[in-house]
Amino acid sequence: MLVTYIEAIRQAMDEELARDGNVLLMGEDVGVMGGAFKASAGLQEKHGADRVVDMPISESLIVGAGVGLAVQGMRPILEMQFIDFISCGFDQIVNTAATLRYRHGGQTACPIVIRGPSGGGVHGGLYHSQNPEAWFCHVPGLKVVAPATAYDAKGLLKSAIRDDDPVIYFEHKFLYRRIKEEIPEEEYLVPIGKAALRKEGRDLTVITYGSPVHAVMKAARDMAAEVDIEVIDLRTLLPIDWATVKASVRKTGKVLIVHEARLNGGVGGEVAARIAQDCFEELDGPVVRLAARDVHTPFAPAMEDYVLPNQEKITEAIRKLAAY
Amino acid sequence: MLIDVVMPQLGESVVEGVVVKWLVEVGELVAKDHPLLEISTDKVDAEIPSPSAGRIAQILVKPGETVPIQAVLAKIETDPAAARPAPEEAPKWDEETEGFPGHMARTSGPPIPAPPRVEPSAPAPSPPPATGRVRITPVVARMAAEHGLDLSKIPGTGIDGRVTRKDVEAHLASGGASSFAKATEGKPVPKAAAAPAPPSSKAAASRAPKVSPPPAAEGDQVVPWTPIRKRIAEHMVRSKTTSPHVHIFAEVDMHRVAGVRARAKKEGVNLTYLPFVIYAAAKALRETPIMNATVSGESTVLKKDIHIAVAVDTEKGLLVPVLRHTDRMSLKEISAAVDDFGARAKSGKISPDELSGGTFSITNPGIKGNLFGTPIINQPQVGILRLGQIVKRPVVIDVDGEDSIVIRPMMYLGCAYDHRVIDGVAGNGFLYRVREILEAGDFL
Repeated sequence: MLVTYIEAIRQAMDEELARDGNVLLMGEDVGVMGGAFKASAGLQEKHGADRVVDMPISESLIVGAGVGLAVQGMRPILEMQFIDFISCGFDQIVNTAATLRYRHGGQTACPIVIRGPSGGGVHGGLYHSQNPEAWFCHVPGLKVVAPATAYDAKGLLKSAIRDDDPVIYFEHKFLYRRIKEEIPEEEYLVPIGKAALRKEGRDLTVITYGSPVHAVMKAARDMAAEVDIEVIDLRTLLPIDWATVKASVRKTGKVLIVHEARLNGGVGGEVAARIAQDCFEELDGPVVRLAARDVHTPFAPAMEDYVLPNQEKITEAIRKLAAY
Repeated sequence: MLIDVVMPQLGESVVEGVVVKWLVEVGELVAKDHPLLEISTDKVDAEIPSPSAGRIAQILVKPGETVPIQAVLAKIETDPAAARPAPEEAPKWDEETEGFPGHMARTSGPPIPAPPRVEPSAPAPSPPPATGRVRITPVVARMAAEHGLDLSKIPGTGIDGRVTRKDVEAHLASGGASSFAKATEGKPVPKAAAAPAPPSSKAAASRAPKVSPPPAAEGDQVVPWTPIRKRIAEHMVRSKTTSPHVHIFAEVDMHRVAGVRARAKKEGVNLTYLPFVIYAAAKALRETPIMNATVSGESTVLKKDIHIAVAVDTEKGLLVPVLRHTDRMSLKEISAAVDDFGARAKSGKISPDELSGGTFSITNPGIKGNLFGTPIINQPQVGILRLGQIVKRPVVIDVDGEDSIVIRPMMYLGCAYDHRVIDGVAGNGFLYRVREILEAGDFL
């Protein structure tokens, strides 16, 4: 069936709510309104107000309540209306949810999913454009995923809901309705911790995730005559699928890392460092990162385009590295 | 003609930069792209190359000064006739305005605060690369070590003439052509007098046999070495002068192998003897790590992975493609890979990747391989096996405690090992083990 990225997310929640009576959806406006972006449209009507629950405007409360429910055996999906506000629930996530299993010697789990719209490109200004995934990649006990396709959006969300550990699920609002994709009618899962090889190539590896996957794929197609690009979509950012990354680096010897989150302290830094350490003798050029400039994402379209990676910057970075 | 050297825009956000130091002086002759000065911006540090060949006519900016993009930094006289030392009337630095009058008054800078100065924390910048210095990347360094390449002979196509992985692959694919080999290509029978001079490089001369002028006698044919021939020659001389070869031989009863072959043939699978020896060697190498090694300087590198290189004869010469992770392959997989290499080697479709990274070698001279031979080690490896002719012979075996004479297909298996790193016990033990595996006939 042909679905949008956001419809894939809605279907995943709908199916899991139907499959497992312990699954809940909690968040601001997720019920009556069906979510600010309509990701949960119709779910309260179908599954009831005690399972699709409108919450007060307090992310700390949403996460904290979710953790308590999870300890008691429920599997809550906790929606952040914009992922920018996940920082309001930061303490509950990193000090409570992420440490539960550890503090209890493995005797308890914390099966929550925290999901919400991330990313820019939609002129949302600095409170509605953030990509804060790197904060959570620093925290043991969490899993972090960032799907780029409708297929992965659905399969990864279903896997996240079934996972016994807290999973932070970054959906990209730029992709919500810009992507339409054929996905299987029958049920499927996408495993957490496995990257996707989007395109094979010999000259240069581009490692990316989320929204830039599509711009990178376009660059790979457009530049096919001059450089044979291999594209890896990480999909899961914690834990990263190092085997796939290293196998590709060993093949091509050149790596460009592209993400929409800021450069400084971004996921790309960790990927670059690991490659430099483990694949040094295979490198045929510097490990290059292309990311957002280290400023807050501006509202003005021209400035936003200046700050975020775009098609032109990706093409330029690939060309430069290929020539090295 | 006087042309301007201007401050380039080094990145979209950069509006100005600091001149760190000049690398040239007024009056100096420069080639196009010769580095003129170093500048530092809040984004990047860079050398500014000369836009043209010529003589430095004027230098307009002092080190330490901040200049906006597009500002003129220097002037170059491109007309060789007019090129002469700097004019006497070069503008003077004005301490009060901190600028050159009419040129670069500091106040003419952009109306934004200056970026933080980049303190030159690094030691003085290295001088322009000396001739012969090669810029490479880590993977190129590794490939050069593996193949014993002289990188100064490989033209670099990367930025700043960097030798890239592709350059090395292209070099290997062309058979490692040196300047000498290229010079003689396409001249099948040059006259003695017209023979090109030997290469000037000392490195090549010391490795390759001396090139004496070809004889000019009537009827003689002078066949200049092809690039691949030259590489083989260099490699063989180097191996013989590098490694003290010890050659040992095992007499192997191949009747169980022959049995497996016969059974496979009934199933329609054609197996040669070679895959069996490769299979047995991989197994024995796993048990004898010192034989699966390379030499690097004054160290022995015991290789984690077993990649056996198999010699393949082609019209152009000998090629040695590599079976990756040979110890993880089944007999059938080895057989298929060997057949595939054989077919592709003949059509010239082996990629350079497939020729590198071997950790041990096996050579099989085939049906006309004679009784036995003494193979030369494939550097930087430390061991090689050679299959001899398989001949039916009467041999004495033990049958129920009684000596009996039977007819068996026998093979002399030759092995060379590098006595620098391997002593007799390990070397002999390895070959003995290969024999045991072949005679046991268990290839599952």
